[in-house]
Amino acid sequence: MRKLIEFRNIVKNFDGQIVLKGVNLNIYENEFVTLLGPSGCGKTTLLRILGGFLEQDEGTVIFDGQCIDNVPAYKREINTVFQRYALFPHLNVYENIAFGLRIKKLGNDIISQKVNRMLSLVNLEGYEKRNVTKLSGGQQQRVAIARALVNEPNVLLLDEPLGALDLKLRKEMQRELKRIQQEVGITFIFVTHDQEEALTMSDKIVVMNAGAIEQIGTPLEIYNEPANAYVARFIGESNIMDGVMLADYKVRFDDKTFECTDFGFKSNEPVDVLIRPEDIDLVKPREGVMRGEVKSVLFKGVHYELMVETKTGTSKTVKMHVVTQHDIDNREAGEKISANDFYVDSDDLENKEMTDQDFISIANAQAWDDENRDLSLTHVSHNIEKTPGVYSITFGTEKKTEVTVKVYVVHPEYVEDPRHNIGISALDFFITPDEIQESMAISTDLKTWASAEAWNLQDDSTVDITDVKFDFDPSDIKEGSYDITFSTRGRVYKVETTDHHEAGDKVGLLFGPDDIHVMHKEEGAV
Amino acid sequence: MKSFFRMSYPYILWIGIFIVAPMVMILLYAVTRATGDSTLAFQFTLDNFGKFFSDPTFMRVLLTSLRIALMTTVFCLLIGYPAALFIANLPERSQTMMVLLLTLPMWINMLLKTYAWRGILMNFDFSSEIRVFIGMVYDFLPYMIIQIHSAISKMDGNLLIAAHDLGANKWKTFMKVTLPLSVPGIISGITLVFLPAVSSFVIPKLLGGGDYVLIGNLIEIYFLTAGDWNFGSAISLIMALVIIASMWATKKLDRNGEEE
Repeated sequence: MRKLIEFRNIVKNFDGQIVLKGVNLNIYENEFVTLLGPSGCGKTTLLRILGGFLEQDEGTVIFDGQCIDNVPAYKREINTVFQRYALFPHLNVYENIAFGLRIKKLGNDIISQKVNRMLSLVNLEGYEKRNVTKLSGGQQQRVAIARALVNEPNVLLLDEPLGALDLKLRKEMQRELKRIQQEVGITFIFVTHDQEEALTMSDKIVVMNAGAIEQIGTPLEIYNEPANAYVARFIGESNIMDGVMLADYKVRFDDKTFECTDFGFKSNEPVDVLIRPEDIDLVKPREGVMRGEVKSVLFKGVHYELMVETKTGTSKTVKMHVVTQHDIDNREAGEKISANDFYVDSDDLENKEMTDQDFISIANAQAWDDENRDLSLTHVSHNIEKTPGVYSITFGTEKKTEVTVKVYVVHPEYVEDPRHNIGISALDFFITPDEIQESMAISTDLKTWASAEAWNLQDDSTVDITDVKFDFDPSDIKEGSYDITFSTRGRVYKVETTDHHEAGDKVGLLFGPDDIHVMHKEEGAV
Repeated sequence: MKSFFRMSYPYILWIGIFIVAPMVMILLYAVTRATGDSTLAFQFTLDNFGKFFSDPTFMRVLLTSLRIALMTTVFCLLIGYPAALFIANLPERSQTMMVLLLTLPMWINMLLKTYAWRGILMNFDFSSEIRVFIGMVYDFLPYMIIQIHSAISKMDGNLLIAAHDLGANKWKTFMKVTLPLSVPGIISGITLVFLPAVSSFVIPKLLGGGDYVLIGNLIEIYFLTAGDWNFGSAISLIMALVIIASMWATKKLDRNGEEE
């Protein structure tokens, strides 16, 4: 194949922001090339530079052996199908397609011949006189393709042309575009953020990220041999684990050593390990290379997508004391008030100034009058100190309706898990049966009541508490003490299977050396 | 829907009293003549129209009005289009500023502006028609620019890129894309300039001097000075028909452009 286009070290900045950082790319004749990447990765910018609508800051574009940096857009033998088609609303279908030919001042009979050929190529015979603004999205799309192709360009650029179509039409147009490309036999450069679109249509995919090319390859290469974790995550579903390459064909991850087919890494090199969800088989727990519990099941049509937890996360168990509180009834004023005893951690008292409002909400203090209207608590007095111990706090309304409860100041109790780099903390708490019964989202409320939080030990960022375990029935709660366990997400594998499983099932995960793909760590990645 | 319809009652009443009723009265006055016996007794007649078309003076006034309105419109279009195109190509913020500057004179009473022009034009030795012409162009130009500007700035910028992509240079892009797509703006600009120009009576009165009479002045004279409401109404009706005819013609022109 002959090289048609060559991008040499293309750099582009917009307002000081770097959009393309030195892109090198060769494109050959008759190829269907897809530039794939998330929005803002620079793919459209690259396309616009080739079309001549933008000028690069550095680098050269070679087209058919010639440098075209100084050739204006209207002189380039390249045509474009724009994102929103950009059809001329004042011209009908025929005249839209004929636009380029009229500019070239071709004879009417030649124009009519060419336009009609295009109309049949894109299956729009009989639509000549139609108003383009009255066509459906798919038909406008076809007009835009015909309008570009009628000029017989060497290259057709397509800037996310299917983005505005619904799913079914998009699939139809994908097939259609592929057919048209094969029929006219010219180079198509297609820009999209849709990985499935890229896999379906392309001869060659260029995966871009943050202004640079991550990988160039056929759809099969990109899917089966992604160059790094970024590409693996972008194309298809993936499980990516931190691992260490012990030796050729031997990789260790999740505290186990596995055989694999990869080699050529430094010994003990940290790597990313990829296993595709569809490559994992679910078997009986004893038969798998790993064991786990099904956490969730999503029905996806052809298959189920399961999340299987093979290792639990970091957890902390606290006591929930369920006690019935008696409201304090101030008959003289016609008011009632109630509050719960509570625990507070000495670090919190130290680090953040606890306001009266904070205490009111932890104690769940509230007051109301005979007509059940909420009253504001106007005074709060307490003898709380930072040293652990039992103190008391009094909440009161304007009419001196008061309630006093106990405050247990305790040492902070963290569970720190250095292996996962996660810390988690939660406090015992008091609660009334009513509050539990009234709760609409019990897990979330339990987290709030226990002030449960988890964080990354390295950078202090918040980590989600994904699991709240308890063994009582919230609708039928009795006084007493209950254990509540909060935990973060452990090691979870995404598995695609056609067999049905329920959340809570114990399963084994089975995969072989062929299913494990080892990748170099991305440069600069943490 | 019904309850919403009820909300329009006050508006319907308003239209009835202030728009429909006066128009019916103009129509009535135009085809009747006062009998003199009583203000309420009417006699049907077409004499009012006969009087207008048989006297060449009236026809000349009509033609003068049409001529000066046409001149004003053409001139506004010639200056207005490039101005609108220039503004539409400015950065967004300057565009808003320019449109504001253009509309600024509209905030000032027209009488005042016209008097100011009278002061200025007194220093020159222009014919009365030229003076009226200058006054009208000054007064109506903003309408033309704003209409065309809004048509151009509404245009999808990608269309220009698409035209470049298909081989059109700047000039051809203008001729084949920008100009045809701004036709609706041109049409409404023409309408907004031609209509007030053809019926204007303040500008010719103040800038034309006593001898320069347009159809608007004629109506004024018959209603206010001569007290002949019947003939005044007939002139109004004739002018209304002329305006309707010219609007129909421009619409037709627009539609032809679309079909092309």
